Amino acid sequence: MLPVLPALHELLAGGLRRGSVVVTGSWGLLGLALAAGASAAGAWCAVVGLPQIGVAAAAGAGLDPGRMLLIADPGPGWPQVVASLLDGCELVLLRPPDRPSAQLRRRLEATVRRFGGVLVVAGDWDGAQTRLFVAHQEWVGIGAGHGRLRARRAQVVADGRGAAARPRARWLWLPGPDGSVTIADDASASREPFWPEIRSTG
Amino acid sequence: MTSVSDAPCRVLVVWCPDWPDQDARAFEQVVTAVEGLCPRVEVLYPGACAVGARGPARYFGGEEALAARIADAVACHGFACRVGVADGMFAAQLAARAPRPGGVARVAVGGTGRAGRPEAPGAAVIVAPGEAPAFLAPHSVSSLGNQELADLLPRLGIRTLGDFAALSAAEAANRFGAQGALAHRLARGLDPRPLVPRPPSADLSVSTPFDPPVEQSEPVVFAAKALAERMHAGLAARGLACVRVQVQVICTDGQELTRLWRHDGLLSALAVAERVRWQLSGWQAVDSDADEGVQAGGITLLRLVPDQLVRNTGHQLGLWGDAVINDRVARAALRVQALLGHGSVVRPLLAGGRNPAEQVTLVPFGDAADPELPSGRPWPGRLPAPAPATVFPVPLPARVTDESGAAVTVSGRALVSAPPARLSAGLPAHGEPWLAITSWAGPWPVTERWWRPASTRRRAWFQLVAEDGSAWLATVQDGQWLIEASYD
Repeated sequence: MLPVLPALHELLAGGLRRGSVVVTGSWGLLGLALAAGASAAGAWCAVVGLPQIGVAAAAGAGLDPGRMLLIADPGPGWPQVVASLLDGCELVLLRPPDRPSAQLRRRLEATVRRFGGVLVVAGDWDGAQTRLFVAHQEWVGIGAGHGRLRARRAQVVADGRGAAARPRARWLWLPGPDGSVTIADDASASREPFWPEIRSTG
Repeated sequence: MTSVSDAPCRVLVVWCPDWPDQDARAFEQVVTAVEGLCPRVEVLYPGACAVGARGPARYFGGEEALAARIADAVACHGFACRVGVADGMFAAQLAARAPRPGGVARVAVGGTGRAGRPEAPGAAVIVAPGEAPAFLAPHSVSSLGNQELADLLPRLGIRTLGDFAALSAAEAANRFGAQGALAHRLARGLDPRPLVPRPPSADLSVSTPFDPPVEQSEPVVFAAKALAERMHAGLAARGLACVRVQVQVICTDGQELTRLWRHDGLLSALAVAERVRWQLSGWQAVDSDADEGVQAGGITLLRLVPDQLVRNTGHQLGLWGDAVINDRVARAALRVQALLGHGSVVRPLLAGGRNPAEQVTLVPFGDAADPELPSGRPWPGRLPAPAPATVFPVPLPARVTDESGAAVTVSGRALVSAPPARLSAGLPAHGEPWLAITSWAGPWPVTERWWRPASTRRRAWFQLVAEDGSAWLATVQDGQWLIEASYD
């Protein structure tokens, strides 16, 4: 098992199982949050096919930029690139440039199992062990012409195959006001902002 | 302490001003040009190389003639270079970098007025034998290349190398430690450390044959790393370290390709493999008719010869700072670089700056670099946390309208014409051409670098939240809306 952030502990039943493929719907902070726990614990993280990754947000979520490799454009030979990286990095975040064939998927899954890493895919990947997506989201701190984006309350749902088949859902701060990812208590679902509200007096 | 054997030998340095960092491939052409005239060229770093001047100068009839010939040869390849000749590597490097008033070298040295001579069009600076200390004396202590001393010495009133050299060697060593003792030797025009009197009797070179011959450079680079580890183990067993390493590659047609590499500080196994890769790709660039990644005829032997051996005085790794790159990660990154090219695998460095795209500097794996914009400064007006998770390398053009469908504009006094109501961005993931805006904030005007007309920039930031819950960072610049980042 690779460690994950405490906020994702329950959703992922303890951690990321080595040799597994995890899918997050579209690219976003959720993919970075998945990798953050392992990266903070010393794992190297390669990011393939995502030139638009926000490194500052990644650092805020807990990834160590000193242990990141970015391959913005892996080109048509991307499966070879991913296989090479799995040899050295325990985590590979991937957005496939094209839709992989079933045969290619099976070959890469075998590579993941052989090296004991975890492949986090942004996009579709049939046969992934775990799937995470944001079901509902709501930004707080911003109004009609005032305030600013402070934090996002998001309901993250995890489902998958086998033991993970029963969907689980949790409310998370994704991100919280300081960029970190923490559990948003259901009880605090009231709209009370957690900072003093400043109103115009003019 | 100074004896005859301690005196540095004559060194000629070729320096190309403003050479792009890490462009080792193009520099290969300069090295080849110099090598056509004198053997055993030592590459100091991409942009500078050195040769021992005594033998070639005798052959070409003097150091002036040699310098002029080298400058001509490099100019034939279309590169501008400067040449300096002096006692020792340090003085020769400074001579090469010395300013040339009017393109002709006239360097008045320490009152003697004879050390720097006017030179032919090649504009070489030649410091006469024995005049190195006088030539060095007026230079600032920052030219020693030691940041700590460059900070400390001026605060003690020691501003030039001459002042520093006036201290006794024992005092310099007492006050500034081993680094200070080395710097003091440099300031006095001596080589940084006494040379090892004679080469050790044992052959410390290591080699690996390739059978069948290898045509790709990638396996050679792999082998080079293991080979370098073997070489280092052999050196360590004798308490030695090498300052230079000679990389020899022998091809099937008997052609032998040799290059000397220097690394400031001591070479690591990875650093040696990196230089082998540069060397191979450099030859491929020169040998343009060969297919990419293929050596003519294939490589049959790789040999590493440690050169210029010194006593290993130990090398302490920093307790904090450098993230240690383990071998598996380095191997994986090197393999991908062999597939896609050197610049395709990058490591991010957090930098300063105001907008999210500026806050990251990307450095190719294996290179060392500093952030383009220094972090740790206040950067007033920078985007507050949380940072956006998606930062578009090229901002997406967008359209933002108010309720009536008219484009929203921002006046010169940072007043918004009407509340933004709808957003359209050319995003393939968002099928809806128009999204209703549920909440928004802004504009935050940012005027950057107004003191520099070429890069001045005036814009206003907005944060927009659309009906589907997505949040965007948008800017208005010259009336045009751009989506810079997404908070998803």
